[in-house]
Amino acid sequence: MKCWVVPQAVDYVACEDVQRRASKFIRDVGRGTVLGSTEVAVGSLEIVRDAASSCRNTFKDFLVSFIPSVIASRPSSQVVENVLRRYLEEFIAVRNERGFGEAVGVTQRIVDSLIKELDLVRDAIAEIGSKRVEDGDTILTHSYSTTVLRTLKKAVERGTVFKVYVTESRPIGEGRVTASNLSRLGIETTLIVDSAVRYVMKRVSKVLVGADAIAINGAVVNKVGTSAIALAAKEARTRLFVLAGVYKLSFETVFGELIEQVFLEDASLVIPRERIQELPERVRVSAPLFDVTPPEYVDAIITEKGVLAPQAIPVLVASLYGWPPKIRSLRDLLMEVSKD
Amino acid sequence: MSHEHRFPKEVVEIYEGIKNMSIRGAGRIAKYAVIALMKAAEDYKGGETRDFLQYMERVGSYLKSARPTAVSLPNAVTYVLSRLRKLSITSVEEGKQAVVNLAQEFVRKADEALKIIGELGSRRIENGDVLMTHCHSTAAVSVIVTAHRKGKVNVVYVKETRPAFQGLITAKALAEEGLEVIVIPDSSVRYFMKKVDKVVVGADTVAANGAVVNKIGTSLVALAAKEARVRFYVATETFKFSPYTLLGELVPIEVRDPREVVDEEWIRENEKVKIFNPVFDVTPPEYVDAIITEKGVIPPQAALLLLTEDYGIDLREIGMNPPATYEE
Repeated sequence: MKCWVVPQAVDYVACEDVQRRASKFIRDVGRGTVLGSTEVAVGSLEIVRDAASSCRNTFKDFLVSFIPSVIASRPSSQVVENVLRRYLEEFIAVRNERGFGEAVGVTQRIVDSLIKELDLVRDAIAEIGSKRVEDGDTILTHSYSTTVLRTLKKAVERGTVFKVYVTESRPIGEGRVTASNLSRLGIETTLIVDSAVRYVMKRVSKVLVGADAIAINGAVVNKVGTSAIALAAKEARTRLFVLAGVYKLSFETVFGELIEQVFLEDASLVIPRERIQELPERVRVSAPLFDVTPPEYVDAIITEKGVLAPQAIPVLVASLYGWPPKIRSLRDLLMEVSKD
Repeated sequence: MSHEHRFPKEVVEIYEGIKNMSIRGAGRIAKYAVIALMKAAEDYKGGETRDFLQYMERVGSYLKSARPTAVSLPNAVTYVLSRLRKLSITSVEEGKQAVVNLAQEFVRKADEALKIIGELGSRRIENGDVLMTHCHSTAAVSVIVTAHRKGKVNVVYVKETRPAFQGLITAKALAEEGLEVIVIPDSSVRYFMKKVDKVVVGADTVAANGAVVNKIGTSLVALAAKEARVRFYVATETFKFSPYTLLGELVPIEVRDPREVVDEEWIRENEKVKIFNPVFDVTPPEYVDAIITEKGVIPPQAALLLLTEDYGIDLREIGMNPPATYEE
């Protein structure tokens, strides 16, 4: 990775501050403490925006260093890559037309409109998805998804009465945050351990989950445990819906790329520290953060463009981006940014 | 009517121990129950053979009522008493000796069972197999360790087993035997299943239809194994087979304290969130490739055979002594 370049301008302190925040953010994302993938995307955009105003001269170096690092800290979260790609495309377009200084200047506007868009997309999904929640439903959800939370909130606002089971979603256990949020919306919420999903599945009428990425074949990458839930849902003939904006599509998978796995490196994030000490040193802990749910276990993917069969993802991609999708790689874009 | 004044002190103590769960674990409960029968017989003062036999039946019923949900308890008592009934005893002395012999035989067999299960189970493991296990089961550990000593197994995925992390007890036991142990979160069971050749787990109770009641999460492991065409074996002593399920009783699933899942502070901050903490789940027999017992490796559907023929269990007798409280 490239080292941060010390800026020469008077905004030295402010820029250093943004860089410190950027490093901390990347570390937090890697440890899974920034929960939802859309939250990672919004956080990344905000850091880009603040760097533009604080590090004007060295902003180019900042982008070239920050963007690959933040993506590498959560490579399975497609929305991060896709919104940063959108930002870079617009940045380059302005720079090529009106110069670097102008492009740095409009960064705030570009970022704000992207964040606004992420917001509108989630609301649009919530609008559609909440119609799938009916009176008397028992919903099961996994992990923490702002899109799922907005959808259930919308359903409550519609006056729909339903119950929710939430898995604790280990490792990390962000299901506790979801349970907390849902109960504050006045929803009858029950927290269970991940192991109990098959036990409760017979009582569940629908499963709603978010996604970190959607592959071109309709396979859904999401927090580890999702695919076991999907399997248990299939066995019990319970419907499973994935709530995900189009920005979660992984265009690279069209060209055969696989979506990268992330492992929690620190065993103490998985097993309580005092329990690890009881174990012989040769015991290893392996904790992947994501798994892949095959499309045949997914009843529908609910996007802001409508409710789709997972097998219809290529149709959606073709209608929005052409076929094969005309998407520039981040590497290309960053190379263009670093050119003078 | 209180039993306490009629039975020897040691018998009452064992009854209380099982009842208040200071004696726990299916194997220990079973052993203590037959020891109590032995003490009761040795202590018997009367002279009539028929009175002695009736007395032993009363002690048996008394002991069985200590913890109606632990199936190894009635099974151990039945092991001794059903054999005693068939012996056509002619004197009290002969009867006492018979109970002592049967009780000791039960304890010896229970100890041997684990070794036999290890040996039989290890034959099902092939060279280079990667295994997965859930929770902590002495019988499953016996299979894995025996297979390892034969040089067949080196790598075992051990599920953490929330909420109480019993997987770590297994991880420790296996690592100390020299196995390469990888502890994984329960949620990643399907992710890792593709890397696994066979699953070996224990059982809390086996129903007459071969359904396996075991630590919560077992049935999800079994489902993921089925999907990946990974073989799924249950290692268990036969005293965990439940005779009551023959009469249509359901196996009770205990639901435990929320504080096993989240701490008290979290509960206080989120008082509206319910926490559902069932301890066991039921794995249907069609997901189980074989049950490895000390009486042999059987298909789950043959559980009935072990219950009736081999274990000296009589349907009428079960009917007369149904378990006290059974729920879903």
